[in-house]
Amino acid sequence: MQSVVEFDNVGLRYGTDSEILADLSFTLFPGSFYFLTGASGAGKTSLLKLLYLAHRPSRGVIKMFGQDAVTMPRDRMPGFRRRIGVVFQDFRLVKHLSTFDNIALPLRIAGIQEKDLKGPVTEMLSWIGLTERAHARPATLSGGEQQRVAIARAVIGRPEMLVADEPTGNVDPDMARRLLQLFAALNKLGTTVVVATHDIHLLNEIEGAQMMRLDKGRLSDPTGNLRHPPRPLVLKN
Amino acid sequence: MLLDFALPEHERKLIPEGRISGPMPWVIAIMLFLTLLAAATGLLLIGAAQQGGDDIASRVTIQIIEPNPTRRAAQRVAVTRALRSMPGLSQIKPIPDAQVRELLAPWLGGDVVDADIPIPGLIDVTFTQQPDKAALARFTKQIRPLASNIRIDSHATWLAPYFDLMRALILLSGGVLLLLLLATSATVILAVRSALNTHRETIEIMHMMGGTDVQAARLFQRRVALDALLGGAIGFGVAALTFWFISGRFAAVESGLLAGSAMPWYGWVVLSIIPLGVTALAMFMARLTVLSALKKML
Repeated sequence: MQSVVEFDNVGLRYGTDSEILADLSFTLFPGSFYFLTGASGAGKTSLLKLLYLAHRPSRGVIKMFGQDAVTMPRDRMPGFRRRIGVVFQDFRLVKHLSTFDNIALPLRIAGIQEKDLKGPVTEMLSWIGLTERAHARPATLSGGEQQRVAIARAVIGRPEMLVADEPTGNVDPDMARRLLQLFAALNKLGTTVVVATHDIHLLNEIEGAQMMRLDKGRLSDPTGNLRHPPRPLVLKN
Repeated sequence: MLLDFALPEHERKLIPEGRISGPMPWVIAIMLFLTLLAAATGLLLIGAAQQGGDDIASRVTIQIIEPNPTRRAAQRVAVTRALRSMPGLSQIKPIPDAQVRELLAPWLGGDVVDADIPIPGLIDVTFTQQPDKAALARFTKQIRPLASNIRIDSHATWLAPYFDLMRALILLSGGVLLLLLLATSATVILAVRSALNTHRETIEIMHMMGGTDVQAARLFQRRVALDALLGGAIGFGVAALTFWFISGRFAAVESGLLAGSAMPWYGWVVLSIIPLGVTALAMFMARLTVLSALKKML
């Protein structure tokens, strides 16, 4: 099975500081669901940044979709980034755009025509329960609403890999479960999902999901499955 | 690049309208007004040098220096007759003695001129083309035998400093024009850098979603183009009013060097193209600035 992501002895340091991530070697497979856990400051966000190509590593080899992402020319990055959906921890919604326009952003960047994006965006708005707030600016949305918009924006383009940094941190348990169901549904369609979370309850929500644990920048593999094809995914009802 | 101006509406929204604008259109209006003034000055000087200068420089004045009025008149008739049979001359104009006296009277007094001072017989000759040194030498050789004491003054000789001045002024206008275009480019670069800082987060988000540098550059290009067009229209309007006012004053000047001088036909074309050229320059600089700034992002 071809991997989606391969890390081989990857390290990351900012400037001349000591490595914030060290000796990371793992493989993510298509259609798999991964939870990334670890204490605050363990390096979860930094690892996610490597996954969504916001940084290049200081050392090691990263392969994304079969291509070397470390030496990849800058002008090829956009094509790869369009295959990855990202939910940022701080949402990073575009302040002057409405809810509708924020969700439509990845489709517009990809050059989808207006007539073709209205349906999916409206459907997504309905799914996250924000149809009434389609024209609202982010500043007028609550933290939970902003988080839902950020998730909708990440998944609207049916990415091959979804990377989410604490995606349920600001929503109530019921909405967290619904959002996780959305991730699972995407996962069933073949999207590889990586969710960084502190919430240990989430880990039990999706059967078959694998856990990656970061401890002081080093990865432990409690399930022992990171280098093997995953088991079939079963969502608990 | 210019086609990038026509962005679909949804892409335009990625950067809020009016954020770059601020004082930009006004700064561009002022720069363009000054650019047009410098260009118009240069073009007018070229026109003046071509029309007035060329007309005068193709003239010579023949002086027949003969104290005896009768002989002087006879020699002037002989020279005039000879000139009329020569090729390459467009106008031969003997100046009557009365007119010469009139010209001298303010300096020497009417009585003195009449009584005591012999005046030269003058003939103004206009060549069809400005004569070079060889042509003038041939002309002098043909005319000199017709009168005992004859002097030929080429207007080009005393016009040389005038042409030097014109050339210097035209170069100066060109230099000012270049400096203004550089200043306009610098203004655009500063405005775009400031706008880039303002919208850095939006650009980073676009990048993370697979937006390309060119997509981001197009957004800024369009904003800058709108500002430049607005500023260009204002600058051009004010400049047009200024030219209309000045050209009236210019036409009233009766100096031999300036009378009849006007903008060459292509001048108006050049002046009309300048606002569009400045807009294209602003777009190009905006694109260059954004692309080089974004290269520093991953």
